[in-house]
Amino acid sequence: MANVRGIWTSTPLRQSLAMAALFALVSLVSLAATYWIVRDNTEKALRATLEQEMKGFLALPNAAAVLTFVRSQSETASPEDRILSYVLPGGLHVGNAALVSKKNGYTALSLDEEYADLSGSYFALSAPVHGGQMTIALSAEPLGDIREAFLSVFLFSLIPTTLLVIGGGVLLARRSVRRLNRIDTTLDRLTTGDYAARVAPMTGRADDLSQIGDRIDKMAAAQEQQISALKQVSADIAHDLKTPIQRVSVLLNRLQDRANLDSDSAELVDRANAETDGIVKTFQSLLQIAQIEGGSPRKRFEPVDVAALARTFCEVYEPAAEETGHALLCDVPDQPMYVVGDKTLLGQVFANLIENALRHTPDGANVSVGAVLDSGAVRLTVSDTGPGIPADERENVLRRLYRLERSRTTPGNGLGLSLVAAIVDMHEGEMRLEDNEPGLQVEITLSSTLAPDLSQSKPQQNG
Amino acid sequence: MKILVIEDDKTTGAYIADGLREEGHVVDLLENGRDALLQASTTDYDVLIVDRMLPGLDGMALVKTLRGAKNQTPVLFLTSLGGVDDRIEGLNAGGDDYLVKPFAFGELSARVAALARRPRATQEETTLQAGDLEMDLVRRKVTRAGQTIDLLPREFALLEHLLRRKGRVQTRTMLLEAVWDISFDPQTNVVETHISRLRAKVDKPFDTEIIETVRGSGYRIEG
Repeated sequence: MANVRGIWTSTPLRQSLAMAALFALVSLVSLAATYWIVRDNTEKALRATLEQEMKGFLALPNAAAVLTFVRSQSETASPEDRILSYVLPGGLHVGNAALVSKKNGYTALSLDEEYADLSGSYFALSAPVHGGQMTIALSAEPLGDIREAFLSVFLFSLIPTTLLVIGGGVLLARRSVRRLNRIDTTLDRLTTGDYAARVAPMTGRADDLSQIGDRIDKMAAAQEQQISALKQVSADIAHDLKTPIQRVSVLLNRLQDRANLDSDSAELVDRANAETDGIVKTFQSLLQIAQIEGGSPRKRFEPVDVAALARTFCEVYEPAAEETGHALLCDVPDQPMYVVGDKTLLGQVFANLIENALRHTPDGANVSVGAVLDSGAVRLTVSDTGPGIPADERENVLRRLYRLERSRTTPGNGLGLSLVAAIVDMHEGEMRLEDNEPGLQVEITLSSTLAPDLSQSKPQQNG
Repeated sequence: MKILVIEDDKTTGAYIADGLREEGHVVDLLENGRDALLQASTTDYDVLIVDRMLPGLDGMALVKTLRGAKNQTPVLFLTSLGGVDDRIEGLNAGGDDYLVKPFAFGELSARVAALARRPRATQEETTLQAGDLEMDLVRRKVTRAGQTIDLLPREFALLEHLLRRKGRVQTRTMLLEAVWDISFDPQTNVVETHISRLRAKVDKPFDTEIIETVRGSGYRIEG
């Protein structure tokens, strides 16, 4: 059945997601590196400015000059941009803000409520100048601006680009999912025996998928040709073999119709007729196995009630069982059990298994046919109380024309079980040969289906 | 009946033609598909017996061509194959019945008779009758000479099938197909067993036998 692929498992989408992730990662790394370099440079520039100014203060002759200079500078400098603070040991303080750093060197400051009218980040340099402590702080706002600029680069270019890549990936993925689904459906039809199925040329741009589609079509065409050649060969062989068999049967019939035939001759004719039937049966089975294994179309499959089929074949073989003194038990409940399949072939499964059981068990043995509906599966069994098959021989009996050493004396062509195996395989079922203690149990498991909806049968055609 | 036999094997063809002539039919025998197409489209036949593999024009193609030309003469395919696919293919091509080689003449003769007298959409019958035997299809009751006969469902279906085809031989395989819905021969005597059970109920207690055995062919209820 068409396995409709989800878009999230499609290769193109996964690839585009991976690409998007890689792109985002590389962009983030390079953005971070650039940010770090720019920030570092800006900080260096701030330090240089601070050092320059500090040198200016150090160049003044004494503390009084510093006081005067700081005072005049404080009048013009807004403390939001630049803070000047000069504290003398006596407690005298000048400047546009009371900033006291006890530590020499650079500090990054974050001012909060402690300073009533100031807030924000600053970059400060503190040094002893003429007995007092001089602190110059510059607003760290340029650093913040850089961060904001990089953040907006991230928000307005990187995120949309990533989203765009993912969106494009989804679009591409949907297209390839459509193509893949088409290939999938075609392969499904081909494997279920519809050899006329083709992917057909895909509309739109050619890509690797459309190339695969073309190749599948070429392969399917070759396969179709081979199968029709095989069919022709089987038909030819069948014709060439059946024609002489038919002639033999015609001649035997003519012989049989002669009035002057003595009873010995009549018996010989009957035996010859029976042998002819045997040849035909073997040939028919071989032909059928070849046809089934050669890919018989499954498009004719329909819901089949195998419980009813089991009952019918019990009934059909009941007289034969009675004749040989076998007890044929039909342990099949009255409820219907549907599987999707070919009714004639499934019927042959029962016929071959029951016939096999009757043939290979001594008179008086029990043969039972069972059917159980069990969690979505139908389990069919044909078991007997005969000699069974040794465990190491069980594989072999499924081989074509293989017969157990001891069954060489009983009639049959050794094709029964291999035909059953081929039919079960065609129905995607499972077949197991088990020990019935004593005897053989053949167990076949097929997946069950719902009863066909009879109200939806095809409308009658008019005219 | 006028029957056209198209069979490339001379022995088989002669056997069919001779047998049918003995039964009183008028038979034309051809060996080639192309000749047969011309013959079948210019002469009116009751039944065509067509081998599926023919020189000149394949049997399937022949029947498809005839059906395409609105020729509705009933066709019985003879085939060497006989797989499930082949059967369906043959019927889809416009064949009416299908017989796998080798076949006994009785089988062929019964099937030809069945084809020629295919029931043509008759009105629904509610009772079937043969002599003093009566079958009520609505109440699913069988009586003979006023006596009610109890039949099992399979026996009822068997009797109904024979009654609906009064006067025509029904072979084992035809009965297997119609009553048991089995289109291959399981080679058991299930038909014989059911016929004998049916006879024990329908014929044995009475003076005359309604169900007749036709030697080498099958069973028939005389009309």
